[in-house]
Amino acid sequence: MTAYHPLVKLVLDGELSLAELPPDLRAQGEAALRMVAAVDRTPVALPAALETRVMAAVRQRAASPWRRLFRPREVRLRIQPVWALALAAVAIAFFVIPRRYETRSPDLSARVAPESVLVRFVLYAPDAKQVALAGTFNQWNQAATPLVRAGNDGVWTATLSLPVGEHQYAFVVDGRRWVTDPAAPAMDDGFGRRNSVLAVSGRGRAS
Amino acid sequence: MEASLAISDGSVVRSVLSGDVDRYAVLVHRYRDRYARYATRMLGSADAAEDAVQDAFVRAFDQLAQCRDPENFAGWFFLILRNRCFAERRRESRFSPAGVIENGDLAVAAVERTDGPVEDRERRRAVQRALMELTPEQREVFVLKHVDGLSYQEIAERIGGTVASLKMRMHRAYDRLREQLKDEV
Repeated sequence: MTAYHPLVKLVLDGELSLAELPPDLRAQGEAALRMVAAVDRTPVALPAALETRVMAAVRQRAASPWRRLFRPREVRLRIQPVWALALAAVAIAFFVIPRRYETRSPDLSARVAPESVLVRFVLYAPDAKQVALAGTFNQWNQAATPLVRAGNDGVWTATLSLPVGEHQYAFVVDGRRWVTDPAAPAMDDGFGRRNSVLAVSGRGRAS
Repeated sequence: MEASLAISDGSVVRSVLSGDVDRYAVLVHRYRDRYARYATRMLGSADAAEDAVQDAFVRAFDQLAQCRDPENFAGWFFLILRNRCFAERRRESRFSPAGVIENGDLAVAAVERTDGPVEDRERRRAVQRALMELTPEQREVFVLKHVDGLSYQEIAERIGGTVASLKMRMHRAYDRLREQLKDEV
């Protein structure tokens, strides 16, 4: 391998000027700069027909019955206060956990419609000032689904009605820390992060 | 389409997720060319780049519900396109080393400047061929720094990794380029 002198590499990085090289390295530095200068930087414009092709493919996919079935949709759920208190009590009874951030798999409480199921999410985060739930069901919107502190034991809960299908999610602690659920399966999102996965079936069971 | 310029990416993404599929055209129009040069230099030809960008837009639509930060659709889309470019290069390398095509020549960018002295044009072609001999990871850092003009810090923010590791990758790329071009430049 014909390696460049480390100082020449600094010239290529723009961290050293050619004049700062020792005289015996200047020829090597000049050749290296010629090499980099020869790189084609011409802007590339793709044909407008690409947009037509993309949109044709996208519309075809959107028309798929399978996609329509699993398309995320907004769910508005009103829980009676008495039920909210009951759910919180159940969560507190379940969670006396020593670790700082402990989670339980979402609990599927009851079916509310033929194609949606009530799911309770619980996070044990005693030091958190706020906790939210972000996932495919709310377009990863951190503001859409805040968890409520249940008492003073550090347990946070939220109950959602989710459509049947697979959902990915994570907890967001104090608006910056993403916490996956160790008690639930997780998958790589393709960009170096992990999402928890929840499969809601029509029988109200997760897998 | 002009009126769409004022609409944020986040608004468009939310509209599409709510079922207004045609709104996706705003994002396609907005970002069609932004990373075309990156894809062209990564894949060696504008035709391959066009296929990659098209596939990336369709894949992004399929996975739009997983876009955690809709306001940063562009950064998220870039990562999808990047994965597509890497997968393409790895697939090609299994069938033909270094992008060798049937006529024995090397695949180089179809969009090529034809101005300047013959010697300059030959140098440009030689450098482009040598770029295609780098690993995709090395070529990417080289392209982002020396074609797109990003700093190491900006590259780290776009694709992840530390500045130190990116510099190491780049310096290995410099050495491989010198080896490839020792008889030409």
